[in-house]
Amino acid sequence: MGIEKLKTVLKSHNRSLVLKTPILGASGTYGYNNEFEDFINLEYLGGVVTKGITLEKRLGNKGDRIFEVTSGMINRIGLENVGIERFIKEKLPVLKEKKIDFILNIAGSSFEDYEKLAKIVNDNNIKAIEVNVSCPNVNSGCLEFGKNPKTLEELVFKIRKNYDGFLIVKLSPNVSDIKPLALAVQNAGADCISAINTLHGLGIKLNYNGEVFTKKSVQGGLSGRCIKPVALYYVSQIKSVVDIPVIALGGISKIDDVFEFISAGADAVQTGTENFTNPSVISDIAADIEEFINKNNFKDFEDLKSKIRLARG
Amino acid sequence: MSIALQPSFLLQKGKKLKNYKGKIQNITEKAKNVYEIKIASSLENVRAGQFISILCPNHTFRRPFSVADFENNVITILMKLQGDGTKYLSSLKADDEIEFIAPLGNSFEILNKNCLLVGAGIGIAPMLFLKKELNKNNIKNYLITGFKEQNEVISGSDEIKLGGSVLERLDDIIKEKNIGVIYSCGPYPVLKGVSETAKKHNIMSFVAMERVMACSIGVCRGCTIEILKDGNIERASVCKDGAIFRGDEVIWE
Repeated sequence: MGIEKLKTVLKSHNRSLVLKTPILGASGTYGYNNEFEDFINLEYLGGVVTKGITLEKRLGNKGDRIFEVTSGMINRIGLENVGIERFIKEKLPVLKEKKIDFILNIAGSSFEDYEKLAKIVNDNNIKAIEVNVSCPNVNSGCLEFGKNPKTLEELVFKIRKNYDGFLIVKLSPNVSDIKPLALAVQNAGADCISAINTLHGLGIKLNYNGEVFTKKSVQGGLSGRCIKPVALYYVSQIKSVVDIPVIALGGISKIDDVFEFISAGADAVQTGTENFTNPSVISDIAADIEEFINKNNFKDFEDLKSKIRLARG
Repeated sequence: MSIALQPSFLLQKGKKLKNYKGKIQNITEKAKNVYEIKIASSLENVRAGQFISILCPNHTFRRPFSVADFENNVITILMKLQGDGTKYLSSLKADDEIEFIAPLGNSFEILNKNCLLVGAGIGIAPMLFLKKELNKNNIKNYLITGFKEQNEVISGSDEIKLGGSVLERLDDIIKEKNIGVIYSCGPYPVLKGVSETAKKHNIMSFVAMERVMACSIGVCRGCTIEILKDGNIERASVCKDGAIFRGDEVIWE
């Protein structure tokens, strides 16, 4: 069948993850389960990467949390989420009932947090997780895990020991060299890397009322179409040193973007900020890829992928 | 005794959101920098207090607008020129196509009591739609609106306050009209003042909150405010849990 052609297999050294299609909804932009059901054909959804889940419920940041910039946005949500317990009790059953494939995104502020979360998700037979080591919004040191190769390797190793499923680590672009971090992740036994998380950004809006200036500003993570070239660069950097699969994200809004990321070394992609602009973007892109495969007589997505990678220049 | 005639949660249950294609019927400048836009689409139902979010080319965020009227599949919105997004929308002509998500948010809970409607500036938009719904249900209502200057006035209310603050008139109206509930839309200080006035008179208030929105469907958590639910502080999204909140539930800054 048509959609069978979009099947994507992420193969690591020891495991593999089968995706219905190569397009997933990025963490923090796709909710917990069926939030986008009204807008997309679920058959085209490669999976939902859930909102970042922490051990305890988090209220997130106070004050202005989002800021629109040219071709993108800045956010400082601050990891607001229901916590792992409520996720398992309330959100997980919906995913199962609706047969929505998902990857659980976890975040923590200490080695212990991550170890506990890994154990819980393992006990609940969750088949894939994405580890957020790069969320720039939490003051508690979350970023540090993703900045230092040694610390990162130790963290991923500890999670690996407690979790048997498909382990994805999401890397931050806010580093001077991403290659040692990607290698650390692979050495510690992760199955896959997703990149990139948001970039540091500051949005300022000034208003002059004739007497004084007033100001609105939001400092947080920059995302959206404007970060695509940065993401392409980091994906190719990562792919130059590791052989585990890479899921790319950063400014993807159309089929051409997906092709470019495949060319840079990606095996699957996530759409993030674009889901806010066009809530059916995942369906739209997946349908476009399907049409491209059929029209040009490629065997399937894997075939298409290999042909794109042959392009030189 | 108050009777909730149309509990909004019942009406909203199972309600599907959709990304509609709409056609501009006409655009008219209603007041200084304020445009009335009529949009025809296949949207079949929308209630007072709900909003739509319109896609603006080259913008990440859609722009949210309260519905000011709905008749025969035509939505009316009122738009104030604010920046690039609204400038684009104001440049549209009849028959141009737009894309919008609807129907978004909860709606005003209609109580069988004498209603005071308070609209400040462009905040008149959802009040006009609410007034129409109340009239249909034969519920007594009184709409007061406030504008800074004469050239900013948008018609349709029972009383207009030019300059100063609409809040100054509330105490008197509540007594004169034997008001049992207040509904309001407008800038933050007005909503806060309405909520405080309602509390003082021991009556209910419902306010339409406004925040910058990214997804407009409750996913991104970008537009949250703090509310008090059963004694606990919670973060509620204006786009999905609101935009209408009980004034006494909002934790005002």
